[in-house]
Amino acid sequence: MEFFKYISKRILQVIPLLIIVSIISFFIIRLAPIDPLAELRLNPSISQETLDKEIKRLNLDKPIYIQYVSWAKSFLKGDLGYTSAGEKVSTKLKERIPNTLLLTSIVIFMTWIVGIPLGIFAAVKKETVFDRVLTVISSIGMAIPSFFFAILLLIFAVKTGWFPVGGLTSYNFNELSLIGKFFDLAKHLVLPTVVLFTISLSGLQRQMRANMLEVLDSDYVKFARAKGLSEFKVIFKHALRNAINPMITLLGFEFAGLLSGAALTEYVFQYPGLGRLILEAVMKSDINLVMASLMMGTIMLILGNLLADILLMLTDPRVRGTK
Amino acid sequence: MKRIWGIIFLILIVGLFLKACIRADIPEQYSDNVINADIKEIVYPAKERNVIINGIDYLQSQAPVGKFGGELVISTIGEGPKTFNPCNTKDATSSSMAGMLYDGLVTTNPRTGEVQPLLAKSFEINGNDYIIHLRKGIKWTDGKLITADDVIYTYNEIVFKGLGNPSTMDAMIVDGKLPTLVKIDDYTVKFTTPRPFAPFLRQLSYPIVPKHYFKTYSDKGESVFNAFLSPNTNPKDIVSSGAFKLKEYVAAQRVVFVRNPNYYKINLENKQLPYLDKVVYLIVGDTNNEILKFEAKELDVLSIRGSNVAQYKLNESKSDYSVYNLGADTGTLFLVINLNNRKDKNGKYYVNPIKQRWFGNRDFRAAIDWAIDRKNMVQNIASGVAEPLFTAESLNSIYLNKYIKGHPSDINVARKSLQKAGFVLKNGKLYDKQGNRVEFDLYTNAGNLEREALGVMIKQDLEELGMKVNFKPVEFNSLVNKLTNTYDWDMAIMGLTGSPLEPHDGKNVWTSKGSLHMFNQRPANYSVDDRLSWEKDLDEIFKEGALKLSFEERKPLYDKYQTIIYNQKPIIYLYSPIRITAIRKKFKNIYPTPLSGLIYNLDEIYVE
Repeated sequence: MEFFKYISKRILQVIPLLIIVSIISFFIIRLAPIDPLAELRLNPSISQETLDKEIKRLNLDKPIYIQYVSWAKSFLKGDLGYTSAGEKVSTKLKERIPNTLLLTSIVIFMTWIVGIPLGIFAAVKKETVFDRVLTVISSIGMAIPSFFFAILLLIFAVKTGWFPVGGLTSYNFNELSLIGKFFDLAKHLVLPTVVLFTISLSGLQRQMRANMLEVLDSDYVKFARAKGLSEFKVIFKHALRNAINPMITLLGFEFAGLLSGAALTEYVFQYPGLGRLILEAVMKSDINLVMASLMMGTIMLILGNLLADILLMLTDPRVRGTK
Repeated sequence: MKRIWGIIFLILIVGLFLKACIRADIPEQYSDNVINADIKEIVYPAKERNVIINGIDYLQSQAPVGKFGGELVISTIGEGPKTFNPCNTKDATSSSMAGMLYDGLVTTNPRTGEVQPLLAKSFEINGNDYIIHLRKGIKWTDGKLITADDVIYTYNEIVFKGLGNPSTMDAMIVDGKLPTLVKIDDYTVKFTTPRPFAPFLRQLSYPIVPKHYFKTYSDKGESVFNAFLSPNTNPKDIVSSGAFKLKEYVAAQRVVFVRNPNYYKINLENKQLPYLDKVVYLIVGDTNNEILKFEAKELDVLSIRGSNVAQYKLNESKSDYSVYNLGADTGTLFLVINLNNRKDKNGKYYVNPIKQRWFGNRDFRAAIDWAIDRKNMVQNIASGVAEPLFTAESLNSIYLNKYIKGHPSDINVARKSLQKAGFVLKNGKLYDKQGNRVEFDLYTNAGNLEREALGVMIKQDLEELGMKVNFKPVEFNSLVNKLTNTYDWDMAIMGLTGSPLEPHDGKNVWTSKGSLHMFNQRPANYSVDDRLSWEKDLDEIFKEGALKLSFEERKPLYDKYQTIIYNQKPIIYLYSPIRITAIRKKFKNIYPTPLSGLIYNLDEIYVE
């Protein structure tokens, strides 16, 4: 019962948060001196009548607060509206979400599968050659900017011809067999995955190592060791369960990053994901599209945190107790 | 110690890795003869002919017979098409994609620029009457005949009603009246313009759409029609007429077209074109990615810019591509000066009155023109792959005023011109008659490296004259907002694309009430007549030019408008880039022209 009360309280807290986020972002975007019709205006063959029609269609002739209210009304009804080019926002998002999810979930899955054991291992084998090499590699991984790394890999792809230069599928994708399709996708995914994987792995691995070291140094681990438990039991039963707690909070944030975490890399690799779409939308002040993506990001972040809290309640008796 | 060696080793490894990525750089500047070396002598095929086979009016290509099959992969930069509805396109990518699908009654001869029949078999002009004869027996992709009803529907129910993008309707209005269109028989229609109107014939290149497919949607009104044929339409449903039909659209990745078996053009052996099975447009985000894709052989055609030209040209002989010089671009780059002397609603001047006096002074503008070193810009910014520009019409325009020769930059002429206007130079700083320091802002759109470099050079050139220039690159959309809405700017570096065929298309820029009359923009519905004397002349020229029908009658008028702009210098032109395009050698029937580019004849191109 406690559990459900807690969750419903958290969900209720979301409402004012969403309202505040939406108001702030709406006004910032609209008050910026960006004209959504700039490209049209600069086209000599577009007449004033066309421009007037567009201004009316996009509600640009109304004051900002009225624009906001009409946006909020349709948002509540589940209608995300149309982009400034006249396409449905929901279809635009639907086109891109699966692509981004595919990339980010592969990356998150891989980093966690590899990063957590690596971190544990580095902590256990502290100050050995293995740990040192890992430290150097992860320092490079953390220091290298993602777009730069991505460009290096692109040049690598051009020089060797082993990987396609960006994109997600080849142009003859639909004529390939099922296996062919799988390999085509895999080939396109390798480079962006490598970039995102290297960068997030370093952080995760360091974090896990630090947590683990702290726990390994604590009294209860010393006690467990003194009790004569096997090293395996000490590490996995006693140390790991305590060290993993902060990582679960981190997982909540990663969840939020599922839809928005890869924008730069997506851009360099011309990956048809959400990041590229949103970036272009912000540049053009395409309000409905930007708002939809911001709302989505906010909801994902809240959901992620909620998820992390629930997981924490399951793994950590202390959290359970206080609630 | 061990640690230090480790670090050094690491640095070496990374360094070697990076070194491998850097190619021996080729000097950036090349003289014209490298770029223009071995220009291929091109023998163009004769004009297409009408041929009747089994009662069907085909259009016969006179290009050499090629092989059927193969595919061509080209690119489009940006976000890809926003619609395939040819009546509702508002951006270049969408109109070229929709243009692949739908042909117009007439088209432009890719070499001479004259109007020639396309979907129409022929046309006759009698005064204000335009009688159009259609091809008999040609079909839409779904097998239905293309007839006069489709033409009548396209114009009477879409164009003349202003559905979709109403620009064509606006452009067709003469004296507040639209042309009329009547059906004479199933394959003949007659347009009548209210007055002689020169641009009209070329406007008939508007795409003809199938009535049986479009009518259901156009009847439901504006909003349904605007959403009709959005990129997510099932390609199988689309009924079109062009050489290729839509096969697939994948958001942010590609658009694939396949050959239309019902196409009305045939080759010399009377086989139906096009040769290619497939034309693929890859949607790429920027030019760098385009170059990488060409290098990785994912693309067959690449338009090459500035500093890359020399490198591609040098590698041409040992590579699988040919490089073509297509001559100057239709685009123009210019410095525009704000002559606005009006007040906003709150009674505040858009431009500071002190600056208004400077900018309104012709000698001040002439000084800027003389101080700008175009040759230097061409050499250093465009790497020699550009031509200095002095005219409002682009260099490949058939209306270019060839008498305007331009001038080299000369700082002394510029100084004299400033002196004449009463400016004084003290300690290297320029002051006006009232003792105000000459200082102003120069804007351009941030992110465009070429324009940012131009800004730096102009700033340097003008500082030679003692002016203080605050160069401010701003976001593209906010710059356009300044130019067209808030008018609070001094000078800006901009570019526009023009039509090399129809100067009347520039009327929004040059006429005093135009929506893009940037240098002296008036708000919409502005009623006070405060035109400058030469603005009145321009208005007159553009009004008259549209009413004269023959090229010979129109040319002197449009020559005059270019002379006025050259003399008054509200816009100071800088240069036109030269278009250089590479295409894989395996493609044949390539006949590049300055007017239409390299691959305008997709239906005739074949793979060897």
